[in-house]
Amino acid sequence: MKIDREQWRMVIALFVVGVVCTLLLATTNIFTRAPIAEAERQALMSALMQVLPEHQNDPIGDTREIMLNGDKKPTSFYFSRNKNNTINAIAWQVTAPDGYNGSIHILMAVHPDGSINAIRVTGHKETPGLGDGITKNQPWLDSFGDKSLGNTHWAVKKDGGDFDQFTGATITPRAVVKAVKKGLEMFAEIKSKLLEKDHQQKEAQHAMP
Amino acid sequence: MQCHNPNEEPINQKAEIFANGFWHNNAIFAQLLGMCPLLGVTTSAENGFWMGAATLLALICSNLTVSLIRGAIPANVRIPAYITIIAAFVSIIEMAMNAWMHDMYLVLGLFIPLIVVNCAILGRAEAFASKNTPINSLVDALAMGSGFTFALVLLGGIRELLGQGEVFGFDVFGPSYPDVLMFILPPGAFIALGFILAGVNIINRKMQARKDKKAAALLNMQTAATQTAEVQS
Repeated sequence: MKIDREQWRMVIALFVVGVVCTLLLATTNIFTRAPIAEAERQALMSALMQVLPEHQNDPIGDTREIMLNGDKKPTSFYFSRNKNNTINAIAWQVTAPDGYNGSIHILMAVHPDGSINAIRVTGHKETPGLGDGITKNQPWLDSFGDKSLGNTHWAVKKDGGDFDQFTGATITPRAVVKAVKKGLEMFAEIKSKLLEKDHQQKEAQHAMP
Repeated sequence: MQCHNPNEEPINQKAEIFANGFWHNNAIFAQLLGMCPLLGVTTSAENGFWMGAATLLALICSNLTVSLIRGAIPANVRIPAYITIIAAFVSIIEMAMNAWMHDMYLVLGLFIPLIVVNCAILGRAEAFASKNTPINSLVDALAMGSGFTFALVLLGGIRELLGQGEVFGFDVFGPSYPDVLMFILPPGAFIALGFILAGVNIINRKMQARKDKKAAALLNMQTAATQTAEVQS
């Protein structure tokens, strides 16, 4: 088959458009990579600020990644230290897969003794006005403070537990409570590994990913 | 569809292109295009505004580019070429928003990449930019894009007002307002859009009636004049 001039024109036109667009995208990628990383760091930082107690270190630089059973990606644990450089809380992200509308991402910070400092919901698609109380209902979020596996019945009140559900929304808080409980159980399991050998000496090598 | 006519007075023509794009041929009100972002992100006026602004920017870039290269693209491959161009610009906008408007980027989420398949944009590239000068295409993009943004802000504002008693985050009805949750949920989008379209149709009909009346009055005057002339002669 012979390719005539008209067909060559088509090939060249599409080729040129493709190359120019690719170059444009590559250039944009180079210029936005650093600002995007910075924006993500800022977002993580402001979320961490909300859950961690007062600290003197930079929790994002003070991180340990651990591969948990059944996970495909390692979980990052952010350490918060007080003046004496002792760990006063550890924060990490957990996911509730069983929200009313997809997964709910929660950032939880726990004291070394296994009690919660604070939790925040960092991402969800729950119903506005009903399920999204998990981000707006401050008293409810505060009710997680100082709760630990031992002192609390981890369920919503409807299921005989200690946590309020919302009017018109039970599934969402139930999912959050379940995920936080699972997070605490996981913490109890790996606590010794996480806290026993302070990683700070090794830290310098892989502080920032 | 508006076509380039060199004999026409340039200012008038630009105004006509703008009026056509913003109102008479509005992507939402007249063509009912771009329904997916319209219904998906308009839970508040602010979301609608930024979604509209991103679409406006994509539309300006794609219309300008398509118009500039309109002689060089063979007709057979114009659609893949346009889509590639639009996709490139949308990806650039997406990366820029991720970098410098991170919060809004998270809120709009998947709807930003979906601007690529907003048929309002490909529609303008195909129906207007590929046949008109860059300047006229720019005017058309500005009109179409701002008309789209206007529709998104209007719908987002109505839903936010009825659903949360706020507009652009400012409390309007006070704390005692019982939020009508339904307007934030998907059904509220359809219902509010229906009422908006009804309102637009009423306005259009009134405008048409006034035009007809004027035309009729003019005709009457002319016939009266000829009649008088006939009687006098």
